[in-house]
Amino acid sequence: MIIDVIIALGKIAVVLLVGLGLGAYLTWVERKVAGHIQARMGPSVVGPFGLFQPIADGVKLLTKESIIPRGADVPVYYLALILALVPSLLIFSVIPFGPSFTIFGKEIKPIISDVNIGLLIVFAMGSIAVYGTIFAGWASNSKYAFIGSLRKAAVIVSYEVVLGFAVLGVILIAGSLSTVEIVNSQIEKGIWYIVYQPVAFILYLFCMLAESGRVPFDIQEAEAELVTGYNVEYGGMRFGLFPLAEWYLNVVGLSAIAVVLFFGGWSGPNIFGPLSPYIWFLVKTFALVFFTLWLHWTLPRFQAKDITDIAWKILLPIALLNVVVTAFVVYLFS
Amino acid sequence: MELIVFIFLSVWLVLSVVGAIIVKNPVHSILFFLSSVLATAGVFFSLGAELIAGLQLIIYAVAIVVFYVLVITTIPWEKIKKFEGIYLGEFLVGLPFIIISVIFIALLINKYDISSIPVKVEITDNVTRVGKTLFTYYLFPFEVASVILLIAMIGAILLGRKEE
Repeated sequence: MIIDVIIALGKIAVVLLVGLGLGAYLTWVERKVAGHIQARMGPSVVGPFGLFQPIADGVKLLTKESIIPRGADVPVYYLALILALVPSLLIFSVIPFGPSFTIFGKEIKPIISDVNIGLLIVFAMGSIAVYGTIFAGWASNSKYAFIGSLRKAAVIVSYEVVLGFAVLGVILIAGSLSTVEIVNSQIEKGIWYIVYQPVAFILYLFCMLAESGRVPFDIQEAEAELVTGYNVEYGGMRFGLFPLAEWYLNVVGLSAIAVVLFFGGWSGPNIFGPLSPYIWFLVKTFALVFFTLWLHWTLPRFQAKDITDIAWKILLPIALLNVVVTAFVVYLFS
Repeated sequence: MELIVFIFLSVWLVLSVVGAIIVKNPVHSILFFLSSVLATAGVFFSLGAELIAGLQLIIYAVAIVVFYVLVITTIPWEKIKKFEGIYLGEFLVGLPFIIISVIFIALLINKYDISSIPVKVEITDNVTRVGKTLFTYYLFPFEVASVILLIAMIGAILLGRKEE
């Protein structure tokens, strides 16, 4: 009983520390990638290869003067920070990082909670994150921030629907909503579900970019029109927290879910010894994260009106068709 | 252990429902409502009804509340009527309904023994069971409900359409 609690707390601590540390260091990765894409060097002054740049940035953000805009709703202004960060962290609670193993006769699963509705939790948390954005924009009492937050709400409402229907194809084939079960069924069949569901994967990529507010769907940021959107009235580390949650934790979390759904989770040739499954999982996840960064620094931005049009008029019909066809095929051939 | 979780969630739920009623700022009220929805999902989780908990999160906490939030946050609050003390007349009109509903709830509590804490259900395949029941035993009501929702959706689109 007590051992179970200790194991659970240990898993939570590991995922939290790794997640937040990753978030900080992904800023460095992003700046390096952006630099090289634009034929620059990226950060290179602080430490070797600019590796200490995130620490310098963190100290700078933490020591800034804390400003609350006039007319702001102070409790909601602070609550918005929590509402933005917590859902992004909770996505990590249903990600299986590897197969279960045994230590001292005790079976340990490298997943915080293996619930039967893991994917529903992912969708729910991805959408609950919208409240952080809306209330951040509303509570700052600023027009730019508010317009940005309303745009984000429109994007999330449309793309959440598409995401749900896109993933249904995989759920139908795997026959389960649990993330662990989906990976196991791919290992049993010896095939990655991207082979069966290429359309669903492309739809998922669209939704992933839209939910995490990455280019070409970053109309809530839109530096050119809205300064920087919903978080413009926040300063210091509070300003840094929104990109941390949205651009980094959300992207890593949704990439890991994409790996679980379409790329066989931790499966892969056993070439790194006992740590092999974990390394494969991380390699696949970060390949997707890199792909997202690559798109971010390459593509231009959609117009606000086009984004919801694409979701409702193009992506949703394709997703529905995909579900119907998959259901027929699954019914006839199994 | 389960008792502690249940008490924690119930207190959280009751407090947020009370908060949603008594705060004056509508945005704070909607936040309390959101918190009560999350607490309800927590109660479902702790009782082993995982599917309902997940649907509670997705449908209520997101799809429905987000539209409330969108409407409430976009209203210009400078222009609306201010709160003018206790609404005595409205309270007197509502009083009979409150008394009747209290009596009904008291009767229900008397008839069924719900004084004991709900027992956790040991079912692991929630999704399969709900799906099977819905598409066999309750197929007709389910289809009727979906047709009603479809009609409502078409009606809403028709009302919201711009005249050419």
